[in-house]
Formats: sequence, structure tokens, C-alpha cells
Amino acid sequence: MTANRIYIFKRFERFWHWAQAALIMFLLLTGFEVHGSYRLFGFEKAVAYHTIAAWTLVGLWVFAIFWHLTTGEWKQYVPTMQKVDAMIRYYLTGIFSNAPHPFRVTTLKKHNPLQRLAYLGVMLFIGPLTWITGWFYIFYDQWADWGADGFLSLEWVAYLHTAAAFLMLVFLIVHVYLITAGHTPAAHLKAMITGWEEVQADESAAAGIEQRGA
Amino acid sequence: MKSRFAWTVAVAVLGATAMSAATAYEADWKRGRIYYRQVCTSCHNTEMKKPVSPSDRTKAEWGAYLQADKHLKGKEPVTRYFSKQYRDGIKASNAAAAKFADVPEKELLEDVKAFLNKGAKDGDSPASCS
Amino acid sequence: MKADRFRGRLTALMLGGLGVIGIGVGHASMPDSGSTPPVKLNTTADHARFKELQREFKSGPEVTKACLICHTEAARQVHRTKHWTWEFVNPDTGQRLGKKTLVNNYCVSIRANYPFCTACHVGYGWQDKDFDFTSEQNVDCLVCHDTTGDYRKQPGLSGHPASEEREIPKGSGNIVKPVDLRKVAQKVGKTSRDTCGACHFFGGGGDGVKHGDLDSSLSAPDKPLDVHMDATGADFTCATCHATSSHDIPGSRYTPTAMDKKGAMVRGQTDKRNPATCQSCHGVTPHKVQARLNAHARKIACQTCHIPAMARGGVPTKMSWDWSTAGKRGPDGKPLVVKDEKGRVIYDAKKGDFVIAENVMPEYAWFNGHVTYTLVGDKLERTDGVIGINRIGGSPTDGKSRIWPFKVSRGAQPYDSVNMNLVTPHTAGDTPTAYWKHLDWAEAIETGMEDFGLPFSGKFDFVQTEMYWPLSHMVAPKEKAVGCAECHSRDGRLKDIKGVYLPRRDAAPWLDLLGWSAAALALLGVLLHGGLRIVRGWRE
Repeated sequence: MTANRIYIFKRFERFWHWAQAALIMFLLLTGFEVHGSYRLFGFEKAVAYHTIAAWTLVGLWVFAIFWHLTTGEWKQYVPTMQKVDAMIRYYLTGIFSNAPHPFRVTTLKKHNPLQRLAYLGVMLFIGPLTWITGWFYIFYDQWADWGADGFLSLEWVAYLHTAAAFLMLVFLIVHVYLITAGHTPAAHLKAMITGWEEVQADESAAAGIEQRGA
Repeated sequence: MKSRFAWTVAVAVLGATAMSAATAYEADWKRGRIYYRQVCTSCHNTEMKKPVSPSDRTKAEWGAYLQADKHLKGKEPVTRYFSKQYRDGIKASNAAAAKFADVPEKELLEDVKAFLNKGAKDGDSPASCS
Repeated sequence: MKADRFRGRLTALMLGGLGVIGIGVGHASMPDSGSTPPVKLNTTADHARFKELQREFKSGPEVTKACLICHTEAARQVHRTKHWTWEFVNPDTGQRLGKKTLVNNYCVSIRANYPFCTACHVGYGWQDKDFDFTSEQNVDCLVCHDTTGDYRKQPGLSGHPASEEREIPKGSGNIVKPVDLRKVAQKVGKTSRDTCGACHFFGGGGDGVKHGDLDSSLSAPDKPLDVHMDATGADFTCATCHATSSHDIPGSRYTPTAMDKKGAMVRGQTDKRNPATCQSCHGVTPHKVQARLNAHARKIACQTCHIPAMARGGVPTKMSWDWSTAGKRGPDGKPLVVKDEKGRVIYDAKKGDFVIAENVMPEYAWFNGHVTYTLVGDKLERTDGVIGINRIGGSPTDGKSRIWPFKVSRGAQPYDSVNMNLVTPHTAGDTPTAYWKHLDWAEAIETGMEDFGLPFSGKFDFVQTEMYWPLSHMVAPKEKAVGCAECHSRDGRLKDIKGVYLPRRDAAPWLDLLGWSAAALALLGVLLHGGLRIVRGWRE
């Protein structure tokens, strides 16, 4: 049998993903300490680490946005409802009976429709909500200069920031689990580490496919 | 012209003599207080666990004590603790020694003496423990 | 002729130069010979050299008369100040304040107690309510300008220093020597922590009693006690911050500046600001490394973080004074005095019960600088609660308030239970009605209120009172400032402060419930899903 491999995650993309993963987990860890959920580093250090990690992530995002725009990879996140029902059905039933995965990865379509929706949600909703509230949180002393003093309250900025953190946490839990829901349990993880996703030969599309004798 | 010359000479000579006229050092009790508290008291507190107070002795007794120049039951002179050498030795950790590092030993001794005289049992304002 | 003149000048110049060299040599040789008079650099006038002061003085006013020969305006400048009038009309509230009218919950009032209280008046001879406030010779120059540390005004002498040897208090064996006015007058100089402290360290009847952030430990403090006054460092005097002109000292507690937004003062600035605020030197963004701390300054007074505790110098402050328990006598029939294990008085039959404490954490409150007093004539609406002797204004939303640290002095003191107002008992003195002599409240209150010209019903009781004292002194080095977590915690210093969201202290319970539930459900969901997959996988 022949296994084909397609190169779907470029080097920067993988770096971006793992750096972002580490930063987000660290931000959740320090953020919930600042919030008061537990004591780990101590409040002062937690705040300092949280702030440094946040700015680092901002920097990473600036690069990532630039990369997505210049490479055209942003198109990977254009939402589609096509096959969404099939994906849901697969997760609800098919996956338990070893049914074939309804989605075939190609270099042009590396995310399944549910992934597209979820990642778009993270990038267009949870992310901006976190950034904007975090921004106001950090620059609390400038509100008066911005004229934002009248309508903003630190209380609600904090609530929204916390809510965004909870959403991110939920995403993280589901996302980590769904790593195992590829063609094989390790397929997604392997792909994100090496960049290469293995597909069966007969299903391989034209571009970017390397054949290898087994 | 002559008068101007004489005048100038007079001023110059007068100035010189006035400046070198003999007067004793005027002790600064406040400087003495700082040095006493931060060097004498603080060391006695930490080393001996027992405070020393200016009001422990009378003025005469303090005078005699400093005159005798004995510390630690006669094992060393008390003036050792006013020497520049001693101050240099502790100035890294002692702010008073650092601040007064360049004060002549005699003056510093006079300062502390003035403070002790004020705070002595029979002084103008007896001072306990500090 | 011309050449001659020139030669003359040249010679004169050379000789003059020689003179200068001579002076220089005189200076250089000073430490060796120890015989050259050093030039005084802290003043341009050595008062010991003034003929007017080279004489014996029998009394304070005699000294003042000598001072006024040169300092012609000084007395009348002092006349214009609170230090002289003991009167102050608060421009915000219109209330007539000052020691002449106020009560506090320490010794209560100066009324009918003048000879004792006026030991801290900047004058001589205020022994009853008929004191002549226009007298120039009765202004006390020495109490502020003494440098010897020997000028003392004993309670009971109406502001005069002791002129002969006395036992004070009587029967105590404590002999007070007369003040050598000649020596003191010849050594006058600038004010110092010692001179201001002679009264302000001892307010409320003893060392450290009243303020909490002012006591005798500040006369020569080290850096940990106060970064500014550190005697081995910056060595600030009181007037370094309370920068004074024409004898009128700024920075009064009657109208404090709770929020100073103007930044550091510069030369030539003409507006009349309080120069004693932190911001008047440090500006409004003093934290260079941690900019986040500047953001805190919007809501928090500098003092709140930088004065971690009061009474830090080894001198306790009085936190509570309960007059209602005064009057107890011991088994021997004598007025009772009880001391704690350190020998400090905690009960005195003349005064009641005390609570004293060192290293006290302040209480915190929103404060906008407005202070309203309960004056003696004010009707007490109810007496079952706590009467605020002074009530501080402030709220999280008025845009003028910051969170400030306070000493709150609590206690119980007498009031007229029929007329429902605070009273001013006559306590000190050798009179037939003085409380400290006879332990009879009714008579003491009667005398005190008569002095005030206010009625007393004859019936009295005791009411709980509290008084707020904003803290500004005993500023700790920055390493010792209050740490983040001391407020940012559920049970921290600011646990009772409302109107501001404090990360870690505050969280919305509903949001936490919602958030953690969602996370738990997600976790449960994936676990079930995964479990099912594994079980199915096994079966196949």
C-alpha cells in the first residue's frame, strides 16, 4: 500500500501555533491567578508575567496576520457550511464506528469546515474580545485622556476579559481533545509537529503530494 | 592716596588676623545625637541586648568616662569608636558613620559629649534609652 | 601722578591678595590648631554677637522684645496665623475651627484648661479666655527658633518656660530646671524637627498620643522610619515640605489636599498651592520603573502604599481613650493607675482606659479633603451610635477623592444628656472644680461650659466618638511600601473599600459560576466522547 504525505503546515505556521498555544496556556494560568482562583506565583509576579506574555502574544499575532495576508493563507479560514452537517454527524456517530472521516485534507483546504468555524470564532471573537478588554485594563490610567472615562467601567472591562478567558479555556479543552479525532488519533498532532499529514494514495489531490513506497 | 594704601593694608591685615583668631570648636549636639543613637545605641542594643541611655550617668560621670577613655571594662579605648578608621570600617552598613566619615575625630567626640551632657541624669533634658 | 596712583593700587591689590592668602591659610590650618573660628554657613547672622542678646533675660517676653528690635514685622506676622489665634474658619464649610473652639476625643478641649494647654501656644501668658491677642511681646519666638533643644514650656505655666526650678507634676520628684534664656536666645536659628516636634510630637497629652505618624522618634529618624527626615540622609525638616513664608505654615490638616493633580512645583509658580503634598515635588507620575503604579495614583493617595504602618519608631500611639471609666480608686482610696507589662499607663483614674499600640496598620477610606466637625454647640441627633468628632468627605465617584490612610482614634467622652451636645470639661489645674483633682464630672463640665458661654443642664453621660487623622509622615523606603497582594486579595487592607474594582479581591460570582460550569461541561463532554470511542474501539 502506498501512503501519501501532504505538507500542510509550513514552518512559520507551526511555530505560530505552538508559541501561541504555550502563551495562551500561560496567560490562562497567570490570568486566573490574578483573577483570584488560586495562588501560584503570587499576585505581583502573576500580573507581571501575564502582561509580558500578553504583549508577546500581541507581537506574535502581528506577525501571524502579516503572514496570513501575504501568503493568502487567510483563505483557509473563510467559513463554509458545506459538509458541516457531515462533520457533526461524524463526531456524533461515525467516529464511534470507525466510519471514514468525511473530510479530505488538501493543501488548499487544510481545515475541516468545523475547524474553520471554530478557529474563525477564536480569531474574530475570543481574540479581539481579549485584546480589547486587556488593552483597556492595562491602560486604565489613560481612560480620562481618551475620554473613555464616562462610559467604561473597570468592573465590566474585567468581567468581559474574564468571560473571554473562560471561552478560551473551553475552546482549549475541546481543541485538545479533537486533536485525537483525525484519521488516526495521532494524525493531527503529528501534522502540527512535522507539517506533514498522511493521506491514502488514492485520495490524494494533485498538488504538494509526495509519494513514498511502503 | 596714602590713606587709601593704609586702609587697604589695614583691611588685609585685619582680615587675616580676625580669621586666625582662636576660638574653640562649637559642638553640634544634634550630630552627636545621630552618631550616639546609630552607632552607640544600636550596637549596644544588638550586641549587649541592653540599651545605654544618656540619663544613666550624670554630666560629671560622662565627663569622667570619656576622660578615662575605657570601653569594654577597660579592654579598649572608647575613642576607638570615634576614629576615622572605625567609621570607615562600618560605613558600608552604618549610615551615620558614612555621613560623618570625614568629620575630625575630636569634633565628633565633642558632638557626642554635648549630646550626653544634655541628656545626662542632671542634664538640661534627660534622655532615656536614646 | 597717574603712575603713582597706579602703583598705589597695585600695592594695595597685592597686599589685599596677601590678606586673602592669609585667610586661606587660616582656614587650612584650622583643623590642626583648632583655634580659628569657622564661618557659620547655616546663617548670615550669629545671634550671639548681637549686643541686644548679650544680657540676662528674666522672661520670654523680654526675649521677644529684643527680637523685635530687628525683626520688626515678625510678631504681627505670627498674629495672623493659626499658631497664634488657634482659630480657623474653614472656607468650605464656614465652620469655625481651631483649638479655641474644637473638641477632640483626647483631652477634649482647652476650655478652662488654658494654663496647661497653652504650653503649646506660640505665645506667653494665655491663662484664661481674656488673653490679649494683639500683644507683640507675648509672641514666643524661641519655641520655634530654638536650636539648643533646651527650651521647654511646661504645662501649667500658660506658655511660659520655667523661670525657676520646679517639680512638675507636683509630688513626682521630676525637677524641671529653669531655661537659660540668654543661651537659647543667642543660639536661635531655623526651625527643626525638634522645635515643631516639641508640640506636634506630643499632641493629645504625650509622646505620639495623637497623630500616630508624628512622635519623638522623628526627631532623629533613620531611613526605614522616614525616607525624607532620615537624619543620616535627606534630613528634611518639617519646613522642607511645609515651606513657609511670613510665618504662616502651609499644609494644615483642617483643609487637607486629598488630590493634587498639578504635578511638581517649579520656581516662579505663583498660584497658592499646598507645597506639602507629595506631588508638589514628585509630580503625578513618579514611578519610573513600574508605570502601572502611576495608574494606581488615580484612585489611591501616595500615603496609602508608602506609609505601611504608623507608630513605627518605638513610640506607641493612643488608639482609644474611654473617659467613661475614669474616676476609679484603688483599695488604698487613691486614684487608680494601671500599667501594662511594659510599664505604660493603660488606665488612669483621671482619664479612663487607654488602648495604645505600635506598628499599627492604618484604616482606609475615600477622602476628598472635606472635613466637617461636630462642634460643642451642635445638637447630637442620637447617642446610641458613634459620633464622628470629624467626618471626612469622599466617595469613589466624586472625582476628587482618593483612598487615604487614617488613624482613627476611638473613645467615649462626656456629653450633656439633656441639651444633647458635647461638653468641654475643666480637667487640668489646681482649682476647686478640676476633674483631675477631684474626679467630679458635673462640676468639671459646669466650669468648662461656663468658659465657653454655653449652658450645661447638669446631666451628663458618655457617648462613643471617633476621629479621623489622615497620615502623611513616617514614609517608608520604597522597598518597604505596601505590596500589591496586601490589597489585591479577598481579605486585604482594602477589603472594605467600595466603588472600585480590585483584581483578585473582586469577581462576579455569577460569571465565575458560568465560566467554570462551561469549562467543566466541556471537559465532561470530551471525556464522555473519548470514553465512548475507546469502549467502541475495544469492541471492534
